[in-house]
Amino acid sequence: MYDRRRRRAFPRRKVCRFCADSKLKIDYKDAKQLKYFITERGKIIPRRISGNCARHQRQVTLAVKRARHIALMPYTTIQPH
Amino acid sequence: MRQYETLFIVNPDSSEEDLKAVATKIKGVVSGMNGIVTSYDEQGKKKLAYSVKKQNKGYYVLMDYVGSADIVSEIERNMRLDDRVLKYLTVKLADEVDPESIEPAKSEPPEETESVETPEEEAQPPEAEESAKEES
Ligand SMILES: [Zn+2]
Repeated sequence: MYDRRRRRAFPRRKVCRFCADSKLKIDYKDAKQLKYFITERGKIIPRRISGNCARHQRQVTLAVKRARHIALMPYTTIQPH
Repeated sequence: MRQYETLFIVNPDSSEEDLKAVATKIKGVVSGMNGIVTSYDEQGKKKLAYSVKKQNKGYYVLMDYVGSADIVSEIERNMRLDDRVLKYLTVKLADEVDPESIEPAKSEPPEETESVETPEEEAQPPEAEESAKEES
């Protein structure tokens, strides 16, 4: 059920969107863009779901981790306080 | 000469003067280490994704600069000691920069190397370059 919901929210793409459009940049400062690659809980979406190629998934992952570090993105949506 | 950018968060309670004082101080650190600030962009007050030092908002500032490798630790040391700075993240943009060609640069995707306050889970993927050839 969990799986089905995620698949519907992020349908599989045949082509990595960054390979398809070279104008798309992966930037840790662009939280709006990176939001496509995390779940509602803030977890990074695996590339089998997002459709990213290995190279761009690595770049997305690095960007999300940087964005998290500088508080542009959440580590988790459950606030610990 | 290397090109870096540091994104940092200034306490949201800071006044205009505080922000100016931070700018002057940090820029002074760069020039004091023979670096050059190529851009200093105050991006305004933003909501933080999680609270940092009891704050839910902060002024984001993005500074691009060129300098030697030890400039980063000096900047970060200053930011760590400065109560007005909540958090910072430094990313290396380029290994070799021609000092002649320095101009306010709009950056391309940053490289794999970076220096962070807490080294946590930021495992660096050094294989990025080699394995990049596999696909496409
Ligand atoms: Zn790709």
